[in-house]
Amino acid sequence: MNKKLNILIVAILFLSAQHVFGQEWTVPADKENVTNPSEYNLANVKKGKDIYQLNCKSCHGDAGKNNALPLVPVPPDVVSEKMQANTEGGLFYKITAGKGGMPQFETTLSEDDRWRLVNYIMNYNSKNEPVLVDAPPVKAKLLASVNEADKIVEIFAEYENKGEFVKLSGAPIIISAKKAFGNIELGKVLSDENGRAEFAIPENVIGDEEGFVNIVVALEENFEVVPVILDKAKVGKLKEVPKLIRGGEILWSTNENIQPWLLLTYLGAVGAAWLAIGYVVFQILKIRRYSKE
Amino acid sequence: MENNTRRNFIKKLGASVGAASVVGGASILSSCNRVETVTGDTIQLLTSSGELVEVDRSMLKPADLPSLSENQKRGREGIPGKSWVMVIDLSKCRNARECMKSCQNHHQLRPEQHHMNVLQMQDSEHTAPYYMPKNCQHCDNPPCTKVCPVNATFKREDGIVLIDNERCIGCRFCVAACPYSARVFNWFEPKDAEKYEGVTYNIEANVPQKKGTISKCLFSADRLRDEQLPTCVSACPNGVYWFGDRNEDAVTNGTTKETVSFSKLVKDNAAYTLMEELGTKPRVFYLPPKDRAFPFQGEIDDHHA
Amino acid sequence: MKKIESAEESRKLLDKITFDLTRSIVKKDEMTRFWFFILIMFIGVGLWGWIIQIDKGLGVTGMRDYVSWGMYIANFVFFVAVSLIGFLLSSALHLLKIDWAKPVSRVAEQVAIAGVALAGLIIVMDMGRPDRFLNVFLHGRFASPIIWDVTVVTTYLVISVLLFYLPLIPDLALLRDRMGSEVPKWKMKIYTILALGWNGNAKQYKTVYHAMRILMLLIIPVGLSIHTVTSWLFAATLRSGWDTTILGPYFVAGAFVAGSAAVIILMYAYRIRYGLKDYFEDIHFDQMGKLLVFVSLVYLYFNINEFLVPGYKMKSAEGVHLTNLFSGSFSSMFWIVQIVGLVLPIILLLCKYFRKPLPIAIISVFVLVSAWFKRYLIVIPTMEHPFLPVQNVPENFQTYSPTSIEIMITLFSFFAALMIISVLAKLFPVITIWEYAEEKGIDKKYLSETPKN
Repeated sequence: MNKKLNILIVAILFLSAQHVFGQEWTVPADKENVTNPSEYNLANVKKGKDIYQLNCKSCHGDAGKNNALPLVPVPPDVVSEKMQANTEGGLFYKITAGKGGMPQFETTLSEDDRWRLVNYIMNYNSKNEPVLVDAPPVKAKLLASVNEADKIVEIFAEYENKGEFVKLSGAPIIISAKKAFGNIELGKVLSDENGRAEFAIPENVIGDEEGFVNIVVALEENFEVVPVILDKAKVGKLKEVPKLIRGGEILWSTNENIQPWLLLTYLGAVGAAWLAIGYVVFQILKIRRYSKE
Repeated sequence: MENNTRRNFIKKLGASVGAASVVGGASILSSCNRVETVTGDTIQLLTSSGELVEVDRSMLKPADLPSLSENQKRGREGIPGKSWVMVIDLSKCRNARECMKSCQNHHQLRPEQHHMNVLQMQDSEHTAPYYMPKNCQHCDNPPCTKVCPVNATFKREDGIVLIDNERCIGCRFCVAACPYSARVFNWFEPKDAEKYEGVTYNIEANVPQKKGTISKCLFSADRLRDEQLPTCVSACPNGVYWFGDRNEDAVTNGTTKETVSFSKLVKDNAAYTLMEELGTKPRVFYLPPKDRAFPFQGEIDDHHA
Repeated sequence: MKKIESAEESRKLLDKITFDLTRSIVKKDEMTRFWFFILIMFIGVGLWGWIIQIDKGLGVTGMRDYVSWGMYIANFVFFVAVSLIGFLLSSALHLLKIDWAKPVSRVAEQVAIAGVALAGLIIVMDMGRPDRFLNVFLHGRFASPIIWDVTVVTTYLVISVLLFYLPLIPDLALLRDRMGSEVPKWKMKIYTILALGWNGNAKQYKTVYHAMRILMLLIIPVGLSIHTVTSWLFAATLRSGWDTTILGPYFVAGAFVAGSAAVIILMYAYRIRYGLKDYFEDIHFDQMGKLLVFVSLVYLYFNINEFLVPGYKMKSAEGVHLTNLFSGSFSSMFWIVQIVGLVLPIILLLCKYFRKPLPIAIISVFVLVSAWFKRYLIVIPTMEHPFLPVQNVPENFQTYSPTSIEIMITLFSFFAALMIISVLAKLFPVITIWEYAEEKGIDKKYLSETPKN
């Protein structure tokens, strides 16, 4: 009986392990060979990449960098054989349905977007001519300063061309503000033909209690650049720090800021009761005194 | 390996290795909370996500955890200028329970004790079931601190409801008062009690746990002091948690590290708070489980409400 | 009030009264020893249970994170409830000049002292860290109902002891003067010290009356607050079944039911055990029966309010709670308690026959036991049904069942309360001799005479 049970448990464990770790994720035959209705071209692949960055990157990592999250099973890299072994229909099906740790995107991404995502993955397939080529990172330099009066960040960008730094024009520059646990993007600006750019800081940016904001200026990913951090730029709204614990207003106050009415009622009632008790005890002592009369 | 040396070593390290400032290995060590084995020059540490890592001993420096009274004092005051909030995106949760595991590791909890508990919910008969991570809601009108007879649980200026287990008398009135069942009690000697014997109590992590006292989620106040996201937020693989300072209107996702505007996030997604009709004013906001990333696969049991 | 003129007759009657009413003090037989043996045994076992609980932690009980208040708290409420009768019988009825209540008032005070003393002790036994009990005074938060509760419990205990002691002083003098040969020396010493040199002069009597009147007035607000504040421990939370404004008066009414039953049982025990047929007369039982019916009717009224109104609406969480009580896992306990502990006693006690000593004592036992289970029903079902589902915890977190340690400690509280009552009964007369003698027309001056043998 017990042995049988053990075998059963082992069998179940084995099966469930298969289920979780198994490489098999079978796609129904009719879904396998569906053709991609969206055309394989640069525009679609680019859009697919944007969708990928937003929805997939957090687990699958950057294409070709093998920096996926260490989950079980590990989410395969876009470039990997495992990923590329899928047919387009298969990829579409898997994105749509999800399984285990892989979300279902049926409701969160439109059908078109899902096919564009497939196009992006197909960019790395050996069958296809890659339309989107990640250029090798270019070394770049950034200079930035803040005009506190006009609340403007002035930026000058250069990149390395044949060993020399020349002005970088037409490059998107990302301006963000430091927050407690990360940087919040304030906006993007393109550098002009002189490699210069100006970014007007939005009115609603919240700084610290004195309005200081730590601004980070950076370039997009394909540049190798040290982001410029503009510490303590007085360009933000004052951070309001509303007082949370107000004395005497709320019942969860501590004794230091207890409600006066509560304290008075309590002490008054207790004081009166114990005064009366004290008086009675005094009377009892008087009985003793009277016994001598 | 001698038990004794290990204990001494932990003592030197302070209650929470998470507070250790280590040159080089900071990123590993900051998420470690338990010393597993000490052999020669290397040391095995258990990270809060449950992984064993081996690091060189020379990389460790004792934590500069302040003395108990200093710790209690700053623990009661909170982190100045902050107003912590959490946003939980129910459409992203797939019941992976990494938050629960890492939390139990961080706060030295027994397997049945949950500061963070992923519940399987169904609001009414015909509505869709969903997973709901539930922790202390850090109410702005907390029913629990109202009833505490000794001021052992209290509200801090940064919004966190904390517990001082050097003072708690174990009356469990706060458990009765909490409508979210967020509080757990140490009914027995806590996990690994003898291992942590003599370790200075850290009020902001509520470790070591103490027999006969209360414990609950505290937004990993010790990690916040080190400018790190709470354990559960960092551990989530699915981007469920957002955490940040409401005063600067920014929350950061623990998985994608993306930072967005708190007010925009809760407005755009029609966020709600749990049982707002009770007037507890929670600091944990839920984004509705609409367009869920993962299908619900659990079973709704009937032990409800 | 009739007055006995003849000195001889007065002395004779006083001798008889003193003889009868001190029988409880003098009586010493196998039964007494056996009774105390039983008491000490159970108290010892209970204390041993407490030591285990302190050593291992509260986990030795059936309480867990969801049902975190269990039998101890139910028991605490029960003892607070029972103790409240002291305020009703020895103060309220006295002030209303209801004469039949006079002989019963000391019994009521015995119950009050035992009840409130044990209530305080049970709360300490329920604490996870009894070693930190002093924190309540060092760090007490004035806004917490527990602090209010600790305050009123102590105040009520002190007032009850004083209210027990004050009318006892003349009796103590009487015992000091008359019991020389019959009781051991240590007892005499207690009497002598506690009698405060009483010699029965007018000033002393006046002081006693004066002080008693103050205490009787004082105990009314304190008595009401002790049980109201106890109800606030529950009503101050948001839980279904507790979150109701009626809980204060509901508790007070229920307390009078439980306390009256306890006093009736004790009266019957004294009547049989110490042959006090002529003192706890049929009329006393009859009147106590009427009182019990009256307070039960009030309690029934509150019960209807407490269950009918939310039951009419069946709001989500309340609905779950009420279904659980009416037809769920607690339904049999609920209906037995309501019918055997409330409805049937009211119907039966309306008949004169059932207000005779034996029947009413038996009914009172049912009422008292039901009263205990009623407290159990107030505490546990509500805790078993929190707002959010109970998940990811072991089976024993979901429902509560008391463990043997809990039962041991609860039994301890019963026997410790009985111990207090027994000791009081063995030390002091169970009826106030001087008041009773005065009632029978004996002049005060005979009381302070030392009888010639």
